[in-house]
Amino acid sequence: MSQNGSTIAVTIDNRSFDVTKGITILQAAEQNDVYIPTLCAHGDLSPHGGCRMCIVEVEGMRNLPTACTTPVENGMIIRTHTAQLQTMRMEILQLFMSEHTSSCLICDEKVECKRFMVTVRKASVTTGCRYCPNDGQCEFQDVAEKLGVTEIKYPIYYRGMRVETDDPFYDRDYNLCILCGRCVRMCQEVRIANVLAFKNRGRQTMVGPAYGRTHFEAGCEFCGACVSVCPTGTLREKTRAWEGKPDREEVTTCSFCGVGCQVRLLVKGNRIIGSLPADDSLVNEGQLCVKGRFCGTELANGPLRLKNPYRVEGETKAEISWETAISLAADKLSSCAPGDFGMLISPNCCNEDLYVAQKFVRVAMRSHRIDTSARFFYGSGLNAYTNLLTMSVPLSALQKASTILCVGLDSRFARSVVGVALRRASKRGAKIITIHPRHHNLAMIADKWLQPLPGEETGLLESLAKLTADARETNETRARSQSTDANHDQDLASIADLLRHAEAPVILVGSEFLQYDTSASILDAIARIAQNIKAGVLPLPSHNNFHGSIVMGAYSELLPGGLARAKGAQLPLQWGVEPPADNSCWSAASLSDKERMKTLYLIGEIPYSWEPNADFLIFQNIYPPDGFCHADLVLPAAAFAEVDGSFINGEGRTQLVRKAVDAPGGALPDWQILCRIAQKMGLSGFDFSSVESIREEISQVAKNLGRFTEITREPIPLPFAGERFVIKPKSAVDSRRSEDYPYLLTISAVEHSHRGFPLSNWVEGSKMLLTEGVLEINPEDAKKAGIARGDEVVVTSVHFEKVLPARLVREQSPGTLHASLREYTYFNPNPQPVRIRRQECSG
Amino acid sequence: MSDNTYNDIFSAFRGDEGDLIAILLRIQEKFGYISEDAVKHTAQFLRLSENQIYGVASFYSKFRFTEPGTTSIKVCMGTACHVHGGKFLADAVSWKLGVSIGQVTGDRRFDFQRVNCLGCCALAPVVKINDRVHARMMVTGLEEILSRRE
Repeated sequence: MSQNGSTIAVTIDNRSFDVTKGITILQAAEQNDVYIPTLCAHGDLSPHGGCRMCIVEVEGMRNLPTACTTPVENGMIIRTHTAQLQTMRMEILQLFMSEHTSSCLICDEKVECKRFMVTVRKASVTTGCRYCPNDGQCEFQDVAEKLGVTEIKYPIYYRGMRVETDDPFYDRDYNLCILCGRCVRMCQEVRIANVLAFKNRGRQTMVGPAYGRTHFEAGCEFCGACVSVCPTGTLREKTRAWEGKPDREEVTTCSFCGVGCQVRLLVKGNRIIGSLPADDSLVNEGQLCVKGRFCGTELANGPLRLKNPYRVEGETKAEISWETAISLAADKLSSCAPGDFGMLISPNCCNEDLYVAQKFVRVAMRSHRIDTSARFFYGSGLNAYTNLLTMSVPLSALQKASTILCVGLDSRFARSVVGVALRRASKRGAKIITIHPRHHNLAMIADKWLQPLPGEETGLLESLAKLTADARETNETRARSQSTDANHDQDLASIADLLRHAEAPVILVGSEFLQYDTSASILDAIARIAQNIKAGVLPLPSHNNFHGSIVMGAYSELLPGGLARAKGAQLPLQWGVEPPADNSCWSAASLSDKERMKTLYLIGEIPYSWEPNADFLIFQNIYPPDGFCHADLVLPAAAFAEVDGSFINGEGRTQLVRKAVDAPGGALPDWQILCRIAQKMGLSGFDFSSVESIREEISQVAKNLGRFTEITREPIPLPFAGERFVIKPKSAVDSRRSEDYPYLLTISAVEHSHRGFPLSNWVEGSKMLLTEGVLEINPEDAKKAGIARGDEVVVTSVHFEKVLPARLVREQSPGTLHASLREYTYFNPNPQPVRIRRQECSG
Repeated sequence: MSDNTYNDIFSAFRGDEGDLIAILLRIQEKFGYISEDAVKHTAQFLRLSENQIYGVASFYSKFRFTEPGTTSIKVCMGTACHVHGGKFLADAVSWKLGVSIGQVTGDRRFDFQRVNCLGCCALAPVVKINDRVHARMMVTGLEEILSRRE
């Protein structure tokens, strides 16, 4: 038995092992393949010692210690399976069973029941008990089977509680709960969200939030981490319940925001049945947010997914074959002059799609008229935002920062992975400063929360930039400032001090201010603060591949490589064509009724702000166009789980997207459709056989990227290039409230969208969480205006009048209103003063 | 219950997690119960979530979450009191006031609870009305006391 400083010798079941010092008996046993039954222990969580299944005998110790909480000691002699232990375990398990419905564990007809569950009658009927959807994938069942429990001696005390189904995405049946505390520990230790807690005592003990509130009311982020660790069927996903075990898993990159988490897609047959976080140390560290955890499955499996191409003539839709569709598109596009064409592609698409699309526009259409919806989304702040991407640091910087400044970031539903990292940082002692107009989930952990009125955040950030510029200047500014709000100034000065003396500070940029008129100056001020205090910036783009859309050159002003296109610049040599004669820059934001185009090609985009005004509209997406858009030719595209490709996240990390299932019907990846049209048009250079061959060409064309054939996941910030886009920042508009217009309305874009569709269109649960098209109003204000939940409210300003249903939100500060809308670009200026009244029903 | 009342209570504490139970005790002393508002304020002060605080508070039977009535009646059901007929006393209160254990009368005047021992078993059975312990209580005596208070 060798023994040095770091290992000690123990004997488990008469076999000797050398194990690492400091681990528990359970860990030592697991490392050496000795089975000790357990229900409450979990690798990611602290030892709990609650279920008492892992009791062991240790020579020289009184009683029977639990293996999960007892550290190994040198020379320990441990027995794990003596007759006494087994009897006691059986006893304990039976005590569990007296509360837990157990027909799946000990029923006499268990075996026959499984065999004859599906009964063939005139209509097939499934018989048998149906208490729990986790039959066959339940740890409680495993332990009962391994111990060989066949009967319950104790009386049955089922608790008869109502199954909680009020919350989106998962249900809770606490009749099955064995109080192992895994979900509580997950919520408190790992997520630090503190929504779940043990309530009451003794037989009344339950898991849940305070006062019988729903999870939604209690501030739950719906990350689903508790569901993943539940050893029974207590916590169950609404969509995955009854699906059974997955056949296989595929690790891919989430496509719902620019954080770029790694997810494990669970596949059964040719269908995705769920997604779980991948154990990825680079980005999400085994965490996901509600979008990555729950939304992908429903989005990919929607029954309305496009399966075959169709053509719309007048009121009729006619399904056509791919050949006909391709020739029709090729026909229309060949006869279209470069100046009459436009293409909008979604920044949700893979790099390879974006590259082929811009090559298609430049080579096949002889034009530079390509754009993405990022142009509307970031508006005048587009340039400033891209500049922030050049300063981006990896997410791991949050682990070292002593001070973190969050601007307009709410990490409850979107980017909750970053929220977890922030809460960890705060626990470690880092100072968190947050700037947000509304109550948000960082307010709880923030050391300072600056709450500017909408329209005042530019001034706030600019004075912060000035204060951080130089220590001497700070004092001067402090002396000079004669603001009415002395408290506020002092706050600012102390924050500036904190920032200046911070070690490795980080600035996180959320999406609250991005649609403001002043977004450009807000983002510029952030950049200046970052330079002053030498902070890393982490812009967290809303579009998963916004970074990729820039470096692939999917904008009229840019070429592959992501650099600004000089007037008359040559196209890459490999393409073998002269640059298009039309050199002008084109922006989809400038499209209006005046400019009627011959052909418009939409790839994963639905512009809401204007009636797509074209003679012929090609619509390529995963779902059919909704009321906002009339299409002439509809082409079915494959969704993110059905293609190979790559995304670049906000840190500049290129990550692989892997095909998990086949696309429904005849849907094809975007790049394949484009290549087929180009080939039909008789062009060479579009004969890509796979995404690898596209990556090969990208690495030849855009030498400055130099990473596209071997994706290393190394974060590379956007190369610095000064001004990329030709958008002029808007000048600030006076947005003060008056007596006539006593409320300040801010409008934001629907951030939770995928390929142009708000997630709430296709994902049932997100209707409650990721709302759009509603007016958020403080309950006090609503009371004053006589507005109740769900009432139609007429919002009037100098410029417009709009009717929106009301949603009373405590988080909204009094005197302000907020709405996230698809047609957000209509409502200028933003923010703007409005008045509201309840719409009276007529008749 | 203004913010100031809470601030007065909180001013005696540093704001560590360990102060929670002491704070809850002070709040209950002051208001007679732990209101939702109190949990919210305590959560902000200690930087814990309301759920955690409720979890801790609901573990202890000392803490109550409903507003108490003006007169508190505690019937002892400890071993000694039980064998001396504590249950009859409890039933009598129930009949008389029309409430069961843990409830408050509709007019908020009486608050009926059971306790498991008041530490004076030699005097069993006992009933505690407000701060006064009534020794060797009998149903008739209890009814008399209650009618006097009604």
